[in-house]
Amino acid sequence: MFLADANPLNASELIFPALECIHIAGFALSVGTIAIVDFRLLGLGMRHQTAAEIAKDLGPWTLFGLAIMLFSGPLLFSSDPDMYYLNRSFQVKMVLLALAIVFNYTIRRKTALSGASPLRSRLVACISIALWVGVVFGGIFIAFVGQFV
Amino acid sequence: MSISETIQSIGFMTDLRESALVFPIMLTTHLSCIAVFGGMILMTDLRLLGLAMTGRSVTDVVGQFRIWKRVGFCIMVTMGAMLAGSEAVKYSANPFFWGKMTLLVLMGVHALVFRGSVYNNTAEIDRLPAIPTRAKVAASLSLALWFGLVCMGRLIGYYEAPQEKAAVSQQVTVAAHVPR
Repeated sequence: MFLADANPLNASELIFPALECIHIAGFALSVGTIAIVDFRLLGLGMRHQTAAEIAKDLGPWTLFGLAIMLFSGPLLFSSDPDMYYLNRSFQVKMVLLALAIVFNYTIRRKTALSGASPLRSRLVACISIALWVGVVFGGIFIAFVGQFV
Repeated sequence: MSISETIQSIGFMTDLRESALVFPIMLTTHLSCIAVFGGMILMTDLRLLGLAMTGRSVTDVVGQFRIWKRVGFCIMVTMGAMLAGSEAVKYSANPFFWGKMTLLVLMGVHALVFRGSVYNNTAEIDRLPAIPTRAKVAASLSLALWFGLVCMGRLIGYYEAPQEKAAVSQQVTVAAHVPR
């Protein structure tokens, strides 16, 4: 069982911030590559390629970024599980993260790869971006939530 | 009044600092931009290293991301300047903030140094049988600078000014001496 006091991650003041930096890098890689496809679905950029081509190119990097994020995230969580578990912003973040990942690998994937209609593509891209911004928002607010609740 | 006090006393900077909601919202925007536009920088670098999007020409990758990287850079710097400006006194005493500024300047130097031979020379790079070392060096340095910036940015929040630390330990000492 992980108790905050017995957790080796709490042995040094530097480990937590170092993990956070890795977490942000993984997040930039995964969400960044997802956003590039979303931009294409919105018709805003990378128009020399189809959304399907870009999605195929970037897929492995999205997965790599997600792996980094999902590895460092639970380690960060383990440094103070009670605080996170009870933090309303963290709870919202986890729900949005689950929704974002599921959405990404079901509806959005299908839309990007099958060349759906512009309207559907745009709608899907907007939902995807909104979900991920929500995840970031939830993450930032973990540190601020005490001021509201 | 010092410069940093003057900056953070500007009307909207004070409003920003004192609002419980605006500061985190701007942080979220700042971070979202890091993902979207930082992600594009990552993919450009990985393309130049021959690791990602290898089916597309360097010209395609660099050219199509360029406009968005510029837009993103503007939003990110605006957000960052406002975040730092609203807490100018704290930030100006923070070594990680200055570390981040130094890396930003180095990023500018990097752009100037490699502009002609790499980023504006993609058609030539595409013609060559292999990606030239110079382009790979540019991409590697860019990746290192990028990660350094993220780290410095994150560490800004962890720095405690000496007087703050002293104040906290003083409080603790006082508290410890309160008779029970």
